[in-house]
This record gives sequence, C-alpha cells and structure tokens, in this order.
Amino acid sequence: MESPQERRWLDLAFALSTAAVVGLVSVAMVREVRRPPLKEQRIVPALGLVDRCESCHDAAQHKGTLIDSHPVERFGCTTCHGGQGLSTTKNEAHLAHLDWERPLFTRLEREANCGTCHQGTAVPDAPLLSSGRRALVTRGCAGCHEIPGLAPPEIAPELDGLSQKVKPAWVRAWLTDPAQIDPAHEMPRFDLKPDQIEALIAFLWTLPGPDLGPHLGPHLGVGAGEPKGDSDRGKIAVGERRCATCHRFEGRGGTFASSLDLAGAKIAPAWMSAYLTDTHRLRPHTRMPGFRIPAAEAADIVAYATEQWVPDTETTPLAKFDGEVRAPLAEQGKKLFADLGCRGCHEVSGVPFVRVGMPLSAMGDKRVGDLVTTTVAGPVSDVPAYVARKVVFPKAFDAPNMTPSKMPSYRLEPTEAMAVGVAVGAMKARPRPAAYVRASKPLTLPVGATGKLIDRYRCLVCHRIGGEGGDISRIPLDGEGSRVTRAWLEQFLKSPTTIRMDQAERMPVLGIDAAEAARLAAWIESSLADARIPDEPAATAEEVAKGKALYEKSGCASCHLAEGKGTMKGPVLDGASERLQFPYVVAMLRLGNAVVPELRHPKETFAPADARAIAAWVCSLPVPKSLQVDPAKVADADAPKADAPKN
Amino acid sequence: MSKLLRDIRDSFFRTPWPADERTKVKAMIESLVLHVHAPKVRPASLKFRATWAAGLVSAVLLALLTLTGVYLMFYYFPYPDVAYRSMKDLAFVVPFGKITRNLHRWAAHAMVAMVTIHMVRVFLTGGYKPPREANWVAGVGLWVLTLGLSFTGYLLPWDQLAFWAVTVGANMVGSIPGVGGYFRLLLLGDASVGESALLRFYVLHCVVLPLAIFGILGFHIFRVRRDGGLVTSEHAPEESAPEKAIESAAEKAEGKPATAAVAKPKPVAKPKKLISAWPHLLYREVIVTMVTTAAMLALSLWLDAPLEPQADPTRTPNPAKAPWYFLGVQELAHYSAFWGGVFIPAAIIAGLCAVPYFDRHLGGIGRTFPRERLAACTSFMALMTFLAVVTVIGTYFRGPGWAFMYWPH
Repeated sequence: MESPQERRWLDLAFALSTAAVVGLVSVAMVREVRRPPLKEQRIVPALGLVDRCESCHDAAQHKGTLIDSHPVERFGCTTCHGGQGLSTTKNEAHLAHLDWERPLFTRLEREANCGTCHQGTAVPDAPLLSSGRRALVTRGCAGCHEIPGLAPPEIAPELDGLSQKVKPAWVRAWLTDPAQIDPAHEMPRFDLKPDQIEALIAFLWTLPGPDLGPHLGPHLGVGAGEPKGDSDRGKIAVGERRCATCHRFEGRGGTFASSLDLAGAKIAPAWMSAYLTDTHRLRPHTRMPGFRIPAAEAADIVAYATEQWVPDTETTPLAKFDGEVRAPLAEQGKKLFADLGCRGCHEVSGVPFVRVGMPLSAMGDKRVGDLVTTTVAGPVSDVPAYVARKVVFPKAFDAPNMTPSKMPSYRLEPTEAMAVGVAVGAMKARPRPAAYVRASKPLTLPVGATGKLIDRYRCLVCHRIGGEGGDISRIPLDGEGSRVTRAWLEQFLKSPTTIRMDQAERMPVLGIDAAEAARLAAWIESSLADARIPDEPAATAEEVAKGKALYEKSGCASCHLAEGKGTMKGPVLDGASERLQFPYVVAMLRLGNAVVPELRHPKETFAPADARAIAAWVCSLPVPKSLQVDPAKVADADAPKADAPKN
Repeated sequence: MSKLLRDIRDSFFRTPWPADERTKVKAMIESLVLHVHAPKVRPASLKFRATWAAGLVSAVLLALLTLTGVYLMFYYFPYPDVAYRSMKDLAFVVPFGKITRNLHRWAAHAMVAMVTIHMVRVFLTGGYKPPREANWVAGVGLWVLTLGLSFTGYLLPWDQLAFWAVTVGANMVGSIPGVGGYFRLLLLGDASVGESALLRFYVLHCVVLPLAIFGILGFHIFRVRRDGGLVTSEHAPEESAPEKAIESAAEKAEGKPATAAVAKPKPVAKPKKLISAWPHLLYREVIVTMVTTAAMLALSLWLDAPLEPQADPTRTPNPAKAPWYFLGVQELAHYSAFWGGVFIPAAIIAGLCAVPYFDRHLGGIGRTFPRERLAACTSFMALMTFLAVVTVIGTYFRGPGWAFMYWPH
C-alpha cells in the first residue's frame, strides 16, 4: 500500500497524462479541421496520375493555349507542368522538397517534356525542341552519345584518301580551329595540342584512298596532260547547275554545304574533278546528290572553283611521314582518333565505330545536382541549361581534380545551344503509354530502282516526306502526287524551272535523264498522293467566267501574275494547268493552307462554289508563248487530264 | 430505467464495482482482460525500478501500432508506385492520415527500442532464471519478431529510403554461404526488390508476423503469472535476499506475483505482504498507458515521418543504409558479409536463448546488477554496449562508400 504522498504523485501523473492525451487529440482535431481541403482532383488512370492542382487552379482559364489540344481530362496537369500533383498545399505542389525533388518544370523543362510524347523531329509549338532535335542530327551528337532513335551519323567526310584531297597544312589549320576557316561549319573544336594534330595527320596520311586515275599529279595538282578547264565557262556551269542552292560562291549562296570560296584553296583540283564526275564513288555517305558531270564540264567547274589553289609546297612533313618516324606517330594518331571519338562522325578503314561519350538516354531524368558536382561553373537552373552550357564550354563543369572532359566545344548561338539542351532534356527513361505517344510514322521508301534513284539524288536531303528529311525545300513532298501533273513533274526533274521567284533555294540540275525522271514522277504520283483532296467534276464555262471576276475581286493579283497582270511574289499562274491539278487548286482555295500548311498562301478560304470557279479560271489560263516547252510532250500529258478545263 | 441499465451492466460484468478485498479479487479473476493479472501482487513489483515499465510500454506501443496499422491498411495498396501514392494520400487527403502514419512510424521505432530495453532489464534482474527460462526464450522471439515487423513495414512506403534499406537487408540475407541466395529469393520473390517483394512484405507485416507476435505475447504474459509473477528479490534464496527487492520476468511491466510458489526447487518466497492488483497495479498501468500515448501523440504531431522520393531502382543513394536498428549489423557486415552480417547476429540470438539453461544460479535475482551476478551482468552489458557502438557508428559515422566520417543523415 503506497503512502499518501506516493498516492498524490500517482494522481498528479494520471491527471497530467490524461490531460495531455486529451489536449493532443484536440490539437490533432483542430489541425484536421484546418487542413486545406481537397476541392477537386483529376484522375487519369492511363497515365497513373492524380492531380489535385484544380483545387486552386482553374483549367478553364487556360483556354486558347495548348490545353485545347491537350485536354486536362486526358492529360492531367503534371504531365506537362511537373510538380507534385498529389499535394493540396501550394508549396508542396510547386517547390522541391526532401520528399519530392522535382518542382514545377522550368520553361525549358516544359518544352523538353513535350518530347516525351512527341517523338518526331518536328514538334508543333515546340520550336526549341524541334530545332534541337534537328541539331542533334546535324551536329552528329549520336556519334559519341547513345541517343534513342538516332543511328550513327554519316554527316562528315569519310577520311580514307584524305591525302589526295587536301594538304597537311590545311588539316593542321582546320584541326586547330575549324571556325577560323569556316565559321558556319558544324565541326566542333577539339582543343588539340600541336603534337596531337601531327599524330592525327600522320595517321590520316596512312589511309589509302580510291584510285583517282591519271588525274592526280605531283603535290595534289592536276596531272600533266589533263585538259585544263575554262574558268569562265565553269562559272556559268555553276550558275546553271544551281550549285549556289547549297554552296557559297563569291560570298553568295546557301550554307547547307561548305563554301566553295574556301574549297578553292583547300581541295586538290584532281580530287574535285574526280568527285564531280562521280560523287558517290569518293564519298558514299555525302549529302550531296550523286552527280555524274561530264568530264569537260567538270574540268570547267574545277577551273573556276579552284582558282585559289596553290600547289602544295610543303614537302617536309610528307617526307617526314615517309620515314621511320611515321609508323609510331601514325599509331599514336590512330589511338587518338579513336579516343577523341573522331570515328563517331568520320568513317575510316581500320577503326571500329565506338561511342566514347556517356549515353544520353535518361538525361531528362537527371537532376542538376546529379550532374554538376562542382561549383566552378556557377548555378545552373535545369538540365537543358546544363546541356546548353556543356556543348559550348564542355570543360565548364570540370572540377579541379577531375580528368578534363574530352568533349569538343560546339559553336552554337545561345538559342541553338538551348535548343540542344531542350532536345536532350526530352530524353527520359520512363516511356509514355502508347496511346499518348506521337511517333512520326517510319518512312518507307521504295526499294529497288526507284529507291536507288531517291538515294542517289539525295532527294531527302532537301525534301521532306512523312516528317523525315531536310528542310531546304520548304514544302513537303507528301501529297505532291495530287498537286502537280505527272508530265510537269517529269519535265521539272529533267530540267528544273523556277516556280517562286522569291525563293533563294532552287532545285539543282542533277542530270536526271528521261527514264529516271519518268520513274520518279510515277512514284510521286502513285505514292505521294493526298487522300484529302477529292476528285472534282470538270469546270463549266460559267464557272470560268465567274472565277475571273472573283479572282480580280479577291486581290489575287497582288501576288500572282496572270494574263500579264499582277506581281511575281507567288507562282505565275499563266499555264497553271500544265503544273497544277484542278482538284488541288479547288481544295487549296476552299480550305486555305490547311491542305499544305507550309504554303505561304493567305489563310482566307472560299466557299466551295467560289473556290471551284477561281480554280476553273486559273486552270484555264494558257501557257504564255515565252514559257512554252516541248509542246508535244505537254499535249501528251494533258490528254488524260480532262478535269483541267481549257478555255 | 436504471434497472434496465443495471441489468445490462450486470449481464456483462459478473462482479459489482470492486469495493472491498473480496470484490477486488473477484473482479480480477472474473474478467477476461484482468485475469491475466494475479488478484494480489507484491508491492516490490510495483516499483518503477523493478520493471522500468519497459514491458508495459512495449505492449502499449504494440496496441497503438495495431490500431493505427489497421487504419493505414484501409488506404494502402501494396503495389509499386501506387503504394507511394497511398503515402501521399495519407499526407494530403486522408482524414488524420498524416498523424496516423506518424504515430505508426514513431511507435514502431519506439517499440524496437523499448523491447530491447525490456530485455536488458530482465537480464540485469535475473528474470530469465528458473523457472522463467522458457519465457525468456519467448521474449527473445518477441524481440526478433519486433525487428521483423519493423523491417517488413519499412518497405511499404515504397520510397527511396524503404527500397534501399530493404535492398541492403536482403543482400545481407543473401550473403549466407550456400543457402543465402535461396533465402533472399524466398524473401523477395524475385531477383531484386519489386512488386513480389512488396506483396510478401505486406503480407508478412500485416498478417503473418502480427499473428505470431500476438500468439507468443499471449504465452509470454501467461507465463509471467504462471512462473510466479515478476521476479523480485523475494524470489532469491534466503541468504542473499536483502529487502531491497526488485522483481523481474519477461514481458509487460505489470507485476503479479502468484501467491502460490511453483513446486520446483525455485525459491518462491512467502511474500511479506500482498496488495490487491485493483487498483494499485491497474492504476499504474493506466498511467503508463496514458504517458506513452501522450508521448507518441506529441512526437507525431510535431515530427513528420520521413518520406523520401519514390523508389527508383536506377538511383542508388550513397551510402545506402538499412533501418537504424540494423545498422550495427550492416556495420559488422562491412567487415565480413557472412561473419558480421549473419554469423554474429545468429550467434547472439542463439546465445541469448541458451543463457537461461547454463546460468541457473539464483543468487541476487530481483535486483539490478547485483554483486552476485557481476560477471554475467558485466558481460551482457559489454555485449549491449558493443551493439550500441557499432549501431551508432553505422548510423552517424559512415558516409559515401561506407567511409568513416561524420555523416549524420
């Protein structure tokens, strides 16, 4: 039996502990009552998410933005915005915490995130992502890094036989800093030491090239006894062949390929001559179409393009390479070539393709803290920003005690670097459900003779089909078979004409012969038709008359030229029916540029009857005498086109 | 009306409200819940120093864990990712979800600690000596089950902490020579911690281990009474029984010396004086229950249970650590996976079970750290100190790559 004093202590302990339990339970009750309530939650089982953002936010207020095509019922909120959708409090939902490391996406992360569903190169409303993905290809990133969906790039010259093409001095200058020679060139700078460059040259000079025949004279000059071309004729040939669509001459022309102002001082005339007469023999992977320019014309072009050429006088290094020094130095160069990842872009015999960089397949999942282990570089906000810095200054994130990064530095504008960052940030490990993935349809090109032609003439370097291909030509070839006549196509392939006067890039004269043109035109007509363009019954005379009035009233002449009136901002319409199919013109006028979004045609649409009338009139315009070509062929091709009305 | 109420009361309780000695005894005997106690107990067994209340606190914690656990089960889905979302639901939308989870987590940690303390106390007072050997072995089993419950519960939130702690634990099992791989597979149901492991851990945590712990706990409490109540110095042989008595036994802190001593040659001293369990014992039990509950509530209201980012098998934290109570073992495993991680823990458990069959001398029982048991108590405390030291090293002084450094996370 306890003492009364003991008893008092027990009573006190009982009273206090009971009061404490009651009090603490009350605190829990009060907290429960004051907890932010769950007002709204969006459950999307397909994505496995529960978003409670709408407890505070009103999705309806975002109307008119991308939410229209990404309804919240199907996508939730965090799919595109990140953050902790399960949270019902602002800070927990928006910010990073110990228990939720991924706060709301930054602007760049948001755009990168589009790429988790949209897998094609061109992603609508995501300009950075689209251009970044293109840059991943053009910059050869997949040469060193594993990137889902990207094959080893074949963008740089094969280097076998380099010694036949350039002089060691040029290689030396190029490897020191490509931008010094060609600021627009894609090749990055490797920050090589002079002895490394010498080793690389020694290695490259051991690589045998193809037989250039009798052309190669001493010191890479044209062999004695070879016909000398005429520079003036060459200049005209370059113009006629439209080489300037891709190459620069005298400071003018395209930037898709290297400037021939530079090539003149770089490329040995003999090699260039062999290259023009059979392009793909020397460079099977080049983007350049497979020209087979006749020898005389090639000689003229070479004479014009290599006016700057100075025969190689640097005999010393070559002699040195011939001595015993050469073998060990070349061996050293070969190792360096592999280690630096040169093989990623440049194919050479004897060095297998190995990716030397880290795989990028889950870069989008990385947190900046995982990537940046040093404070040297200063703060970085997100993965895209990290990548953007990294590609331009690869050593920016090297800690003092780290082996320096081997990555070369790319000359990229800040926006382009950001674009690359966004494209890399889009690579996330966890795949989206198939129903959400917007993959570009894999392009199936014909095999066999037609396929060989498409490859030989490198159609896809300039033209886009099914979202794949280059963008030198602005308008994709999808649907081209329903837009233009086959006869015109054949003619155009053989001898390309100018359709839009304001276009700087024009189809080069590839030397496609009649049989090849017929084959390609047949393929385009049958395989690249546009199912959305319905057949139209032939136009009537009334429609033609009504169309003329409508044409004049609608101001079409401010861009088009017809019957000698108007301007040439758009295509000339005289003789349009030689080129365009009547149903296409109707559809284009009726639907505006919904048929071909890339077309710079006004968005205005016409009522179906009006569209038909204008199209009827346009397609009735005769070919002006000055533009008529081969009337026999035109008549032939037009015969079956009964729907293209004649006046 | 009042008659009806009285009839209802009488139908449930066969005895009137305890008022005199007779009804107090009757109440203790007639009630299902109360009859686990003896109607009369030794005053010495009611002292705090006799039990440290560790057994009762452990039992209260187990009750709290059961209640909160059942509530959590209403909202929990044992499937990867969904499980993690359940945690978020508990935190954000389930009524009292957060505090329930906090209570469950902190009570679990506390229970591991209290059961261990209980074992220390029983050893120091000689509570494992005849006739209490079997109950000591049962107690060791309860200790292991407590660790098992805690470990299996660790995986269920499916966060990084859970995933990697269990991965480390499973790898320790896997390091047993020969059969380790099979045990690991049996535990995880897969080559690595995944949906099978989560389901197995869930079933173990919510069904198998609780049934086992309740079963053995029933035996444990029953044997406390049958073995003559909590050990006190009155149980010691006459010559060495100073009146400074302390009882001991296994399990709960409630004392209940049976008047009748056991027939064997055990020293069941005739108690000087017994007092009735109602209200002296029960009142203390209620107070301990209330204090424990209040402490757990206070902890849970102001300290949130950790929840790391969702489990990500591709992102290994460095260092990856087991739950704190296994960090001693992980520290030992660092020196040798088998000897440190498997052999020593197994030897400790086996050794603990064997102790009562070799150390049977009754001198000094009922007192903490008595002079008569200096060697036994010192070696036991040395072992416990060793385990505490390696646990502290593993917890606070092992950084990335298990390198020795101050690493308090």
